[in-house]
Amino acid sequence: MRAELEAIKTEALQALKGIETLDALEPLRITYFGRRGKLTDVMKGMGKLSNEERPEIGKLANEVRATLTEAFEATAQALQHQQQEQQLETEAIDITLPGRKPTYGKAHPIMQTLERIEEIFCQMGFEVVTGPDIETEYYNFDALNTPDDHPARDLHDTFYLTDGHLLRTHTSPVQIRTMENQKPPVRIIVPGKCYRVDYDVSHTPMFHQVEGLLVDKHATFSELKGILTSFARQMFGDQTQMRFRPHFFPFTEPSAEVDISCAVCQGNGCRSCGGTGWVEILGAGAVDPAVFEAVDYDPDQVTGFAFGMGVERIANLQFRIPDIRILYENDLRFLRQF
Amino acid sequence: MNVTLNWLKTYIDFDFSPSELADRLTMLGVEVESIKQLGAELEGVVVGSVTSIRPHPNADKLVLCQVDVGETDELQIVCGAPNAREGMFAPVATIGATLPAGFTIKRAKLRGETSNGMLCSEKELGLSEDAAGLMELPADISLGTPLSEALGLDDIVLELEVTPNRPDCLSLIGVAREIRAETGNPLQLPQVNFKEGETDIREVTSITINAPELCPRYAARVIQGVKVAESPAWLQQRLESVGIGVINNIVDITNFVLMEYGQPLHAFDYHKLAENRIVVRCATEGEQLTTLDETERELTSDMLVIADAEKPVALAGIMGGYDSEITEGTCDILLESAYFNPSSVRATAKALGISTEASYRFERGADPSIVPAALDRAAQLITELASGVICEGIVDVYPGQQPLTQIQLRPERVNFVLGTEIEETEIVRILSYLDFDVETSGDIYQITVPTFRSDITREIDLIEEIARVYGYDNIPTTLPKGDIPVPASSPKTEVRKRIKRFLLAAGMMEAVNYSFCDPNCFDKIRLAGDSPLRDTLKLRNPLSPEMSVLRTTLLPSLLENAQHNRNHQIDTIALFEVGSVFIRNGTQEEPERVTGALAGQIGEGIYSNPYRQPDFFDIKGLVEGMLEVCGIVDYTLQKTDVPIFHPGRNAEVLSGDRRLGTFGEAHPEVLENYDLPYKAYLFEFDLEGLVDVAVFTKRFEPISIYPKVARDLAIVVDKEILSDMPIELIYETGKETVESVRLFDVYEGEQVPEGKKSLAYTITYHSATETLTDKAVNALHDKVVKRLSQELGAELRM
Repeated sequence: MRAELEAIKTEALQALKGIETLDALEPLRITYFGRRGKLTDVMKGMGKLSNEERPEIGKLANEVRATLTEAFEATAQALQHQQQEQQLETEAIDITLPGRKPTYGKAHPIMQTLERIEEIFCQMGFEVVTGPDIETEYYNFDALNTPDDHPARDLHDTFYLTDGHLLRTHTSPVQIRTMENQKPPVRIIVPGKCYRVDYDVSHTPMFHQVEGLLVDKHATFSELKGILTSFARQMFGDQTQMRFRPHFFPFTEPSAEVDISCAVCQGNGCRSCGGTGWVEILGAGAVDPAVFEAVDYDPDQVTGFAFGMGVERIANLQFRIPDIRILYENDLRFLRQF
Repeated sequence: MNVTLNWLKTYIDFDFSPSELADRLTMLGVEVESIKQLGAELEGVVVGSVTSIRPHPNADKLVLCQVDVGETDELQIVCGAPNAREGMFAPVATIGATLPAGFTIKRAKLRGETSNGMLCSEKELGLSEDAAGLMELPADISLGTPLSEALGLDDIVLELEVTPNRPDCLSLIGVAREIRAETGNPLQLPQVNFKEGETDIREVTSITINAPELCPRYAARVIQGVKVAESPAWLQQRLESVGIGVINNIVDITNFVLMEYGQPLHAFDYHKLAENRIVVRCATEGEQLTTLDETERELTSDMLVIADAEKPVALAGIMGGYDSEITEGTCDILLESAYFNPSSVRATAKALGISTEASYRFERGADPSIVPAALDRAAQLITELASGVICEGIVDVYPGQQPLTQIQLRPERVNFVLGTEIEETEIVRILSYLDFDVETSGDIYQITVPTFRSDITREIDLIEEIARVYGYDNIPTTLPKGDIPVPASSPKTEVRKRIKRFLLAAGMMEAVNYSFCDPNCFDKIRLAGDSPLRDTLKLRNPLSPEMSVLRTTLLPSLLENAQHNRNHQIDTIALFEVGSVFIRNGTQEEPERVTGALAGQIGEGIYSNPYRQPDFFDIKGLVEGMLEVCGIVDYTLQKTDVPIFHPGRNAEVLSGDRRLGTFGEAHPEVLENYDLPYKAYLFEFDLEGLVDVAVFTKRFEPISIYPKVARDLAIVVDKEILSDMPIELIYETGKETVESVRLFDVYEGEQVPEGKKSLAYTITYHSATETLTDKAVNALHDKVVKRLSQELGAELRM
């Protein structure tokens, strides 16, 4: 019996070596471990052994069984692994086939710029307020200290409605509307659409502006410089240089036009900045006392400053669109670029 | 306005380079828009002399000139000009010079003879239209001198942008004053002295002002026996260098003084004035005047004219009359120097559509005090350059003399407003450099404003003056002190943001369209004739009929965008816009709309994501998502008769009775009107409506730890049963144990009887408190089936 066990062990281990698939393994397993398997048969014969032989042969039989079980399991595992490898190999794909990209839309370039401007000023504590596109001459001009015969009031410049109203030419009327309804301090920005009778490569009859206003007991021109410098550095980059030039606006005094260093030539002068190294981005100034008087603020008790920028202009410093009228065609080939 | 460096230097010393000067002026608020070298286009053109001429052997009309340009070797130049002669001084374009017409001179052979340059006419040099022959130069210029230098063109022109509040800078002396403010160097004003004749001006003319409001000051001189001729070269050069055309010595002198002092002058032919006298009055209605530009003007009674005893002879401050202009035959002149009311000049110039150097200055505000000085300066130049005798005296009628403006300035207010620490001495220095008279006794300064600064009337105006001369660059850059306020944000902003974010994530591109639209668009979207949306606000001065009214709906804009893209072969159209519409409603209202359009195809057209056509459920899905991100769950859908939509494929979204918006498939006629060859799906929502019902607050709901059980259920019902009717019943029956009901199949056809359809749902049962047993689920599911059968006549489909 001992010899028989040894023979089974040798034979089985030998047979296992020839097995190449899981399908072939199972019949072999049955040959030894099945109900009528060779090993099972031998184990069944144990009862016939003498009491002396039984412990010794029994021990051997268990050893053979354990060895074979382990060998069969190892083979099964190896074969399974091999089979999976083969399976994975057949599942290989052409990774250059196009990905199924979720479609996503893009905000209009003007809105992207506008949102960025709003974000920067909100961080500096400016509240976003809006006002109507349809305005009266009072809010658009009179209250902003614009003389009665100022050319901006002409039909050549301003769109009028047949009922006598006009389409605002800037978002500045909201300054007045806000101050009429709110005691100082005021710290607002006013994004919105504006309209002027103009239509060429750099003008569209409708455009966007962001107006800013800060009024407090003691707001200074130096703070106007600070706020706008902070804005420009965030909007156009840390290295941006600023230049405040004296200018004239009816509703601010002192007034300034604000330039930033040209990003194309780093301020060295090139074609896009007309050789000056500077690019104008906005108009600003201290609120004119006449404006305060129009809204019943006492110019001796409060000071303030205001600024206004064209969103199209700021967007175009980045995008460099040669004819900005394309902004309002909503051509998808254009919109997808931004 | 243009100024030149050399001209400026006759009034003030400075040693700035052109670009330095441009920088300084710009930072003072007088922006320099360009810096140009005069005569730059004449580089390589020098003065030469023709030493000998011989015929060209192979051409009758050409000659061979030997030309001395001051170098060792003479140049042989082939020339065809009829006036070429030996000894003549003429401009020579040397090899390498590029002429204004754009061609570069090269060594060339003309009919076999070498030509080493080109002798030029004025036209070839871009100096005039004279192409008759070579330009003749004075013979006293040394040979080889650059032509630009010989012509006095070695000067730099600065083009200035003067803001409307600074008419005082519209003159050379005005700009020199700015340089003085910057440098402190003294001004050198022209020395004016001349001898007057014996005739008393009062004997030869008189001035009457009938409209003193419009003409506060009018002064005149009479000069007899002038010789009208061409101006001397220096005067022509001065005027041409700043872009003013040359006419004759008298007119040129008035223009010269205009540029010098900023005071417009006008010279009349004395003998063309009826009774040789001047009446300043308003025109009579319909009165006629032919102006210098030979245009006959019909005047109105609010226009100020300069008249003689009978008729208007000039439009005050704008343009002279044709009949009294200076001609070659003029011998005696009446020279006008006046101050006119800015608004009056502006209104008249605008009404007649004329803008001149004179009107430009008067409408911004000239200096009434300079009137006699400018008159004397011109009189002096006229006697010097056009001979003539100046009548004794000046007639100066000044009914509108104003006291000098006095302003109180609190020096500490300067630093308060600017955020600076400018010393008082510096403040005084700046103001006096600007010709303000400063009285500093006491805490408050008394400032007297010079008459040429009519823009300065208030303390803040002085503060601006101090700031710009002190230098904006020198004002510190600080941030506001104190806490940064937390800006409030409105629910509307929040809803707008959420909707935009959702639509972008869903693949919709954002459009922005003009607020204007074409009134015909309402027909194109099939609006009913009496639709309130047709009641638009109209522009008085539209750019075009297509942009003549304000839009009352955003849908036509998006349909036009779809059409534009289709016309450019872009067929994956997914656009939305958030924008205002303009409703006429007693007072104007500007409610915001959110509008979307899907048309053409969806997908990428690639192997893994092929194109497909959008359908009703794509637009409905967008609407549902949009409502969901606004926290709006409580709404119903209802079919509408909105004519833009397919009558069977549209819906309105109602919250209670309130319509939040509509969506659906565009009506085939609408598609046709916008040339769309495929279906389009649209939605338009009222943003304010969405804001009113939006829900922002969210509460945690416990997540069940028990397993869920899913059961499929296919039923056959009448075709008319809507797909959500069983869903409602299932929820109603199962109560909170039904977690979800999903419709996964709808079928009509062979497998079900005529007039019926099959609907298949997956019902997910779930309990928050226990593990559902099969028994419990079965009981509930049976109950659901029974209910569907009883109430909807549903049969279970096996």
